[in-house]
Amino acid sequence: MPVSFLLLLILFSVSLIVVLFLRPGITVTRGGKIMAFLVLFFLPILCASMGISSELERSKSTAFCLSCHIMEPYGKSLRVDDPAYLAAAHYQNHRVPVDEACYTCHTNYAMFGTAKAKLRGLRHVYIYYFTTPPPPEKIKLYESFNNRECLHCHEGARSFEQGAIHNSDPYLLPAIKANKKSCLSSGCHEVVHNVGTLANVKFWNGGS
Amino acid sequence: MTLSTNPVERRLQFSGVLIILGLLVEALCLAWRGPLAFLVSLGLGGLLLFAGMVLFLFSLVSSPRPGN
Repeated sequence: MPVSFLLLLILFSVSLIVVLFLRPGITVTRGGKIMAFLVLFFLPILCASMGISSELERSKSTAFCLSCHIMEPYGKSLRVDDPAYLAAAHYQNHRVPVDEACYTCHTNYAMFGTAKAKLRGLRHVYIYYFTTPPPPEKIKLYESFNNRECLHCHEGARSFEQGAIHNSDPYLLPAIKANKKSCLSSGCHEVVHNVGTLANVKFWNGGS
Repeated sequence: MTLSTNPVERRLQFSGVLIILGLLVEALCLAWRGPLAFLVSLGLGGLLLFAGMVLFLFSLVSSPRPGN
């Protein structure tokens, strides 16, 4: 839903409220009462719910996540010119939607995953504005990364299911699927953002 | 632009002012591309809209009966 439509709806509501403010006497009639209900109750609820929905949608965007200064190195890590960097490889090859790159990997694909992500976002805002946030390289996940988030896309994909390394040990694939062996284990996909090493890497300048 | 002398109509006018302020806060937050926009929209805008709607509903239930 375009923001311009919502802005027009807000403008329309405000104009009707102004009419009601200037001529409150019209509420004596039946039509005036219906108009007052629509203008002072129905339209504000409609505008508020559409506004919240729009804000929630925007909060999933990569630009929104990277708008905090502390996240800048993480945004930079998406442009590292090295396929070993997991986040960069996903971003540059569009394995995740470029516009929602952070949200795609860092939300839980479980019930209330989105709600939990939003609540954590509120906590981030509190930490960012009201406490001393840690330096970017010291930021840690709240809990270890669950393979479920990777498997949401990769499970069933030929490259994953028939990958030579994934099948080098008959116990490996079931262990990955059961989250007993992390995808980010040492020797596997351990290089993700690694923002502490960005001073020594090359960057890719292509893409949007 | 003056406030009505009728108490019910005056409440409707106050309600309208609160809702207009709430809607303007929401419109500003839609144009403001910052992480605080959501909080301001929900906290301040939502509060103003809620107060305006409650005042409107209150003006309905507090209307004097036709015979009084």
